[in-house]
Amino acid sequence: MTELKPLKKPEITHSQLVRYAGASGDFNPIHTVVPIGEAAGLGGVIAHGMLVMGMAGEALADWFPRKNLRKFKVRFNKMTRPGEKLTIEGKAIGETMEGNEKRLIGEVSVKNDAGELKLKGEFQVKF
Amino acid sequence: MKPLLIEEIKIKPFSFKIERGKIKEFVMAIGDPNPIYYDVKNARKKGYRDIPVPPTFPTAIEMWGGLDFETLIALLGLDPLKVLHGGQEYRYLGELYAGDTVTAFPKLMSAFEKRNLRFFTIGITYKNSNGERVLYSESTIIERGGSIK
Repeated sequence: MTELKPLKKPEITHSQLVRYAGASGDFNPIHTVVPIGEAAGLGGVIAHGMLVMGMAGEALADWFPRKNLRKFKVRFNKMTRPGEKLTIEGKAIGETMEGNEKRLIGEVSVKNDAGELKLKGEFQVKF
Repeated sequence: MKPLLIEEIKIKPFSFKIERGKIKEFVMAIGDPNPIYYDVKNARKKGYRDIPVPPTFPTAIEMWGGLDFETLIALLGLDPLKVLHGGQEYRYLGELYAGDTVTAFPKLMSAFEKRNLRFFTIGITYKNSNGERVLYSESTIIERGGSIK
């Protein structure tokens, strides 16, 4: 079991959510419009789950060549809000064969400074 | 809420041309400084044909290509204030670069209700302009029934 180097991200800001909305095309207003986030019972805006997965994807392409990535699967746990700082952690947990291709299996997780789990997932990369 | 018959929900295929500028905008929003996404020279030096798509870029293809949030909630009859993204999976079957045009074939894979939550799974197969399968994406969408805890 090999630990991978954790990736520490800067604090998430409300502007970053607006920017990610534009970049990704996900204009669900619970991510950008505070009164709508409040009306939804969320107490304000929440980050796009895909932004958090995007940060995990940044770590994956840091740890391994981008072109070797074969599978990336996550579950979103807790919501993320502006002001939180996320860290992406990963480890290699095994190997598998897919046809003639040898692959490494890994786990990835994203947590805030308080250790709250935001996302948990697994990935496979070609050796 | 009436039961949803997944056979009755048809989602139209759509095409999307991947552009370098869109990739750059996407990684800048994430705060991902990987040089392979910013300059084609860096990408080629690392053995890529052009600027590769970041692992989660297919979400931008979906949202900008035809399956955006408003379309999705109308299609599935969801309350926009109660929709959450439960999970996401990508299987990378081939390479995908700026300059490529992909066609996405979305399908509602499942819809069920459990403990006041409704779960929907949408699978999307992507093919390149040669008709080769390059990517499979699967999203789990959750609609909260009651108030959030």
